[in-house]
Amino acid sequence: MTHLRLSGGAALAVPALLFAPLHTAHITPTVVLVKQADAIRSTLPNAAHFFLRTVSIGRADYGRIKQMASYTPHDDQVKFYYGTDSDGALTGTVLFPQVNTQHGPFEIGLTLRPDGSVAQVVVTKATVETKPWVEAAIKTGFLDEFQGMHAGDDVTKALEGLDKDHLGAMPTFYADVTAKAVQRGLVLYQVLFAPHLPGQGS
Amino acid sequence: MGLYSLRRCDPSVKLATVLFLLVVGYAYIFAFLMVKQWAGLSPSNVAATYVPKPTVEESMLSAQSESKTQPLDLSSMKAEKHTVNTQLLIQDSHIHILMFAIVAALETLIILGLEWRPAWRNTVITAAFAAGALDFSGQWLMKAGLGGFSYLTIGAGWLMTAVYVVVLLGTLKAVLARGADAGRIA
Repeated sequence: MTHLRLSGGAALAVPALLFAPLHTAHITPTVVLVKQADAIRSTLPNAAHFFLRTVSIGRADYGRIKQMASYTPHDDQVKFYYGTDSDGALTGTVLFPQVNTQHGPFEIGLTLRPDGSVAQVVVTKATVETKPWVEAAIKTGFLDEFQGMHAGDDVTKALEGLDKDHLGAMPTFYADVTAKAVQRGLVLYQVLFAPHLPGQGS
Repeated sequence: MGLYSLRRCDPSVKLATVLFLLVVGYAYIFAFLMVKQWAGLSPSNVAATYVPKPTVEESMLSAQSESKTQPLDLSSMKAEKHTVNTQLLIQDSHIHILMFAIVAALETLIILGLEWRPAWRNTVITAAFAAGALDFSGQWLMKAGLGGFSYLTIGAGWLMTAVYVVVLLGTLKAVLARGADAGRIA
């Protein structure tokens, strides 16, 4: 009987052995709110073809970005996703500026019209901790207020309609972070993409 | 104060001990799934999660920006690799190292009652506490740019699991033991 019980005990340990490499890393996970591919597809509905342009930032543009956006890019490469219609004309461009906050990474999908104005802003990435704050901010509809803005515009105007007392400190903070991401994205577009728009030679 | 014998304990103590270990094992399954999902299980994937990208040095950039354009198939677009930055690692460390210490301490309380030889007992106790510390040591060393320490983090994971399995088997042996000096449950 004892032998049988011990065998049963050993059987209990088997699943533990199967899941052996348990603690290799413990991570505060990011949460993908919208996949990048879905953001591109849904915000460029008229595109027949999609392209990825990867820009390696040069010294001159790096200085311009620092001056215009008051930040230094963390990565020396920036990816621009753009769509063209069946005639090859640009229908819009999407980029995914990211802001690292004390709670983890935060990323938006910023879709720009061919004239460089904001067509749409979606939040694509938050963290487990920040997701409820981000969603509370999104529910106010403030993301729509960025539409039509260009590089150089005061993006914080999109936040003027927020009832910050009612919204709470952290959702308000993430609305501010969103505005910062939009501003950075607009500057990256203006400096790195707009001078060489597809179809106009590069 | 001398050690106790789990074998001779009241059945309620035995029950609580076994249930504690089983629930810890239950949690470990989800820890495994979380690691698999967010960091990956291979040394290269773990290193890619922690080793920071080289910082942009303005002086190292070429004078002018350069671009490369390629057609994009949205259906084959891969999700970006999850990475852990320094702020996240600080957050993870302060929670997990504390929890690892608490779990190691609870495992130690069980080990003290398993009537093991002192050398083996002290080895397992040391391993219980070391595993969590080594896990995060590896993560911080990777964060410092030393990708090879992914092996340390993975090895620490194996060590933590080995401690758990050894303690579980030792506990089941003690709880299920039959004999003149065994507890009433036996």
